[in-house]
Amino acid sequence: MSESYAVNVEDVSKSFGAFKALNGVTLRVRQGEIYGLLGPNGAGKTTIIRLVCGLLEAHAGSVTVLGQRMPNVAVLRHIGYMTQQAALYPALSVEENVRFFAAINGADEGVKDALELVQLYERRGSVVATLSGGMRQRCSLACALVHRPELLLLDEPTVGIDPQLRVQFWEAFRRMAADGTTMIVSSHVMDEADRCQRLGLIQYGRLLAEGSPADIRAQGGSQNLEEAFLALAGRKES
Amino acid sequence: MSGHRIAAITRRLLQGFRRDRRTLALLFVAPIVILGLLGYLMRGSNSAPEVGVANQDSGPLGAIVADGLNSSSRIKVTEISAADGEAKLKDGSLVAYIVLPPDFSQQAQAGNVAPEVHLEGSQPGEDAPVIQALQQSMISLSSRVAGRNVTFQPQIKYLYGGANYGTLDYFGAAFVGLVVFFLVFVITIVSFLNERSQGTLERLMASPLRRGEIVVGYMLGFTVLALVQAAEVLVFALAVLRIHNQGNVLLIFGMEALMAIAAVNLGIFLSMFARSEFQAVQFIPLVVVPQVLLSGIIFPVSTEPAGLQWLSGVLPLTYAVNGMRDIMVKGADLTWSSLQLDAGVVAGFCVVLIAAGTTTLRRRLG
Repeated sequence: MSESYAVNVEDVSKSFGAFKALNGVTLRVRQGEIYGLLGPNGAGKTTIIRLVCGLLEAHAGSVTVLGQRMPNVAVLRHIGYMTQQAALYPALSVEENVRFFAAINGADEGVKDALELVQLYERRGSVVATLSGGMRQRCSLACALVHRPELLLLDEPTVGIDPQLRVQFWEAFRRMAADGTTMIVSSHVMDEADRCQRLGLIQYGRLLAEGSPADIRAQGGSQNLEEAFLALAGRKES
Repeated sequence: MSGHRIAAITRRLLQGFRRDRRTLALLFVAPIVILGLLGYLMRGSNSAPEVGVANQDSGPLGAIVADGLNSSSRIKVTEISAADGEAKLKDGSLVAYIVLPPDFSQQAQAGNVAPEVHLEGSQPGEDAPVIQALQQSMISLSSRVAGRNVTFQPQIKYLYGGANYGTLDYFGAAFVGLVVFFLVFVITIVSFLNERSQGTLERLMASPLRRGEIVVGYMLGFTVLALVQAAEVLVFALAVLRIHNQGNVLLIFGMEALMAIAAVNLGIFLSMFARSEFQAVQFIPLVVVPQVLLSGIIFPVSTEPAGLQWLSGVLPLTYAVNGMRDIMVKGADLTWSSLQLDAGVVAGFCVVLIAAGTTTLRRRLG
C-alpha cells in the first residue's frame, strides 16, 4: 500500500519542548503529484517538510519517503529542498551557488537547464549578495532542482516573487510534475492552492482536511477556497 | 538631541542583554577568570630556577661561594659533578650550572676569579637570577680575601640561544604559531556560524552530504588559507624580524600547519555551541586567553603552581608552543622524543576535534 505513495506521513507527532508542533498528522502524496500544504503561519507546514527530508525526527508515527523510512541519507539525493528563506552563499555568483548544490548532490550536469528554468542564465555571473529578493528566490529554486530530484520540497517558494514570475514558476512546476516529479509546496496564499492537484489543510499541528481543491470546496461548503478553509477551521475549533 | 530617543536606544540595548544570558554571564565571569588566572600565575610562580653547582676547588674559597649560592633565595642549588651538567641542562632539570675550577682559591688570591657559568639559555628571564646570585656570593668572598679587591669575570656559555638571544627570540618562536592558531580559529568559527545563520547548513544537511564530509571539507578549505598565512608569518618572522632559528624551516612550517588544523577544528566544534556570530566572538576570551596564559608562552609551565601545571598539561597549545620553541630555539628535529610527543599530542587533538565536530553537527541543527 504505502509503496504507491512517494511520501507517506503516518500519524506523526512532533514537539519542540512544551510546544506540540504536530499532533497525529497523516498525509499521503502520490508520485508525480503537486501536493499543497496550506495553513496559517506556525501551523506546522515547515515542520512537516523538515520531517520529510529527515532534518527532524518524529516523536511518534513514521515518515516514509520513496519507500524508505526517514531519516535516511540514501534517499536524500532524490530530494530537492527549497528552504523558506533563500539559503544561498552571498559571496558566490548565481552559477557558483547552483554548481555547488549540483556537486554535493552528485550531479554535475543540469546547471544550465536549472538556470534557464528560473530565467537567471543571463545573470549567472552576478554575485548573490547584489541580487534582489525575487532573484535570490529564483536562484534558491534552481539550487533545489538542479539535480533533478524525484521529490521536490518547496517551502513557500513564491514569497516575494512578482505575479508574472509566479505564473512561470507554476508552469515549470506543472511540467516537472508531468515528467514524474513529486512536489510538496507549502503556502498560505490561497490562490496558489488552486494550482495544486491535492491539498492538505493544516492548523495547530493537525490535518483539518485533505483532497482536491474541488473536494475542499465541497467540504467547506463554499466556492471560494479561502472561505472553505475558514469554514473548515472554524468547524474543527468549535 | 532628544533624551527620549536616546533613552529608547539605551533601553533597547539593555533589554537585548536581558534575554542573552550567556553574554551577560560572560561579561561578568570572563574578567574574573582571566584576572584570577593571571594573579594566580604571577603570585604563585615563586619557584626559583634550579641551578647545579660543581665545586672543584682544591682550596677553601670555593666552598664559601658554594655556600653563598646555597643560601641565595633567588636560585635553588643542587650539587652536581661538572660532567653531568650538560646532560641536565638538556633534559631541562637545570636551567644553569656553575663550575668553580680547581684553582679557584688561587684565582681569588690573585684577585681575579673566572667561574664557568653554563646557561640553558632558551628562557631569557631565567639567566638574570643565576648571575645575580653568583655576584652576591662573590661579595662574601671579597671579605674573606684580606686586603684585595677581587674582580669577577664569569665565563658564560650558552647551551641554546647565545649572548644575542633576546626576548623577541623566545616569544617569537611561540608567537609564530600562536598568530596562525588564533586568526584561523576566529575565521573558522565565524564562517561556520554564517553557514548556520544564512540557512545553507540546513540545506547541506538535507543533501546526501555526510556530516564528516562537511567537517573535513571545511577543514581542508581553511587549511589551504591557513598554510598560506603560516608561510607568510614564517617568512616575515625569519627574514624581517630575524627571529633566532636553529631548526629546519620545513619542520617549523609543519608544526604551524598542525596548529592551524587544530584551530580550524576547534572553531568548527565550538561553533556548535554558539547561536550567533556575537556569541562566537565571546569564545575568544574564554577559550583563547586562558590557553595563552597557561601554554607557557609567557610564564614557563615549570614555574606555574602545581594545579595549573596539570591544566597546562591537558591544553594542546602548551604542546604546540613547546614544540615550536624546541625547533626554533633548540634546533630539535623529529628524532627528539619531546618533539614527537608535542607533534603527536597536537595531531591527536585534531583527530578528537574532527570526531567531536562531526557528532555535534546534527544535534545542534533542530
